[in-house]
Amino acid sequence: MADSQPTAAERFVNGILPENPIFRQILGTCPTLAVTNGVKAALTMAGAVAFVLVCSNLLVSLIRPLLKPHLRILVFTLTIAAFVTIADRLLAAYMYDMSKQLGPYIPLIIVNCIIIARCEICASKQGPLPALGDALGQSLGFLLALTAMASVREILGAGTWLGLTVLATKENGGWFDPWSIMLLPPGAFLVFGLLMGAVNWYSARASKPVGPA
Amino acid sequence: MKYLLDAWLVIVLGIFFGGTLAFVHTTLDARIKKNQLDETLSQIPSLVPGACRGEKVEVPGLTVFKGLREDGATSGWVIQARGQGFADTIQVLIGVDAKADAITGLYVLEQKETPGLGDNITKETWREQFKGKGTAEPLSAVVAAPSGHQVKAVTGATISSVSVCGIVNAAVAKFRERLAELEKR
Amino acid sequence: MDHLVSLLLLALSTAIINNFVFHYFVGICPYIGVSRRVDMAFGMGAAVTFVMGVASFLSWMVTYFVLRPGASLTAWVAGLAGADAGSMDLSILKYAVYIFVIASAVQFVEMYLRRFFPPLYKAFGVFLPLITTNCCILFACLEIGTDKRMTSGSPDFWPLDLALVYALCGGMGFALAITIMAGIREELDLCDVPKALRGPSIVLIIAGILAMAFLGFAGVDTNIGKLLGR
Repeated sequence: MADSQPTAAERFVNGILPENPIFRQILGTCPTLAVTNGVKAALTMAGAVAFVLVCSNLLVSLIRPLLKPHLRILVFTLTIAAFVTIADRLLAAYMYDMSKQLGPYIPLIIVNCIIIARCEICASKQGPLPALGDALGQSLGFLLALTAMASVREILGAGTWLGLTVLATKENGGWFDPWSIMLLPPGAFLVFGLLMGAVNWYSARASKPVGPA
Repeated sequence: MKYLLDAWLVIVLGIFFGGTLAFVHTTLDARIKKNQLDETLSQIPSLVPGACRGEKVEVPGLTVFKGLREDGATSGWVIQARGQGFADTIQVLIGVDAKADAITGLYVLEQKETPGLGDNITKETWREQFKGKGTAEPLSAVVAAPSGHQVKAVTGATISSVSVCGIVNAAVAKFRERLAELEKR
Repeated sequence: MDHLVSLLLLALSTAIINNFVFHYFVGICPYIGVSRRVDMAFGMGAAVTFVMGVASFLSWMVTYFVLRPGASLTAWVAGLAGADAGSMDLSILKYAVYIFVIASAVQFVEMYLRRFFPPLYKAFGVFLPLITTNCCILFACLEIGTDKRMTSGSPDFWPLDLALVYALCGGMGFALAITIMAGIREELDLCDVPKALRGPSIVLIIAGILAMAFLGFAGVDTNIGKLLGR
């Protein structure tokens, strides 16, 4: 029975592109749109989600023999809520500026479907090692997706990447007139839609069988 | 009763997490409160000339800090105020001199105005206009060249600029009323 | 009268200008998932609004009487136990309590619908329990329980009437957004969408254009406020 389930390494690799939480499973879209107007904020959010995902997966995996089917969602929710509170307080204590910028989106990690989905699909059914591999893979996929979105939005919207100037803006004596729309909500939706289209196109090509040479 | 027995795991987890969170709270709370205070205190030297440190003062209805010189004398006050901007709430720190006769500085703590347009209110060059403005009359933001009790509005963000002036006027007026009793202390 | 104006401006601002979907990016998962048909979308919007009202009311009650610093019930219990009543601050438990309140509210709504509106209950299927993970509701509860934006000069806590208006109008804004998208998607079924963009991609791009349209509403509440004498 356990042999038919993916191993830790398989879970890890799956999380990056084939089962990417944002572009393939379309879960956790709220932070993808909300915190990606700067790469620093995106990295912080990805770090927070990684922390909560790894801790929740490990804990649920360790207590999985004790879970009753009709109460398991309650247990997942309680675990996730506790870890999100810890992550939120840690951010407020050690990265106060980021905590202010991310605002209400850190507590919204509690209802981020990625984490509950991973607990349900993987952690409640497999041991700690596959659960850890799964959590790390999904977190990496999430990080890559968020960084891609944030890079596009920050470079086109402000000419910087992680605060370093990439395209010199007119204000700073350069040539680039920043596309402010990228920093606003419509830009978020458009970039997300186009990136998802790009990933779909790439996946369709990659899975096309190679014809005769 | 059976449900309660079934839910023993939830109850145990609840108690466990409750304890963990209480521990986290006691460990980190002091640091978080210090972060919040530091944010304001670190701005005081640049808002009130001559002040090297700040101290919170209890004033009902207002958040006020005293700017102190090295010898402990009051060189000015910093008022923390908030109000409705174009998009969302704007939170500012206003520095005034010891008699609250003139504004000595302005700093925007929080704003969610339009990037590239309204958020130019955070720029030093725009905020500098407030330095030296008298508080006897309310300030207003104008599009043309400003004079006297006027500041030049940010191009393309008149509402944000007008909102900031409104916030400043209201806070300074309220503070001046309270200054008399503050000085008695 | 002034208070009524506050309520009106808050309603306008929450439902349209700072629309939950197009400005705060909450509730995107059901927005993409349930906006296929107008009747389902409208039903989802109505359900979310109702649950939001119930959940916000309950979470406001819990925050006001139990969780915030110096809350009355907690102080009373602390007084009974002999501890220092003034320093009881249970806000660290906010997130866990809110999500439980929301889950319970959804349970109650489910039971109510199953008892009194069975066909509606069947039509919803699996989407009803999924409202628990709808970011909108937790977002509204968090804003009401934490934010002090609407109270200048008064104590730093949302009054109950403003909180309810905020929650219900936020839900209505979500309903508006999802119904518009459903209307567009029904037409989109007849169009020739490029293969890579089919599905969630095109929905997001259209949402971007809708968000641009909604940007045009910015500042309306400030100016209406000025007209009404603020």
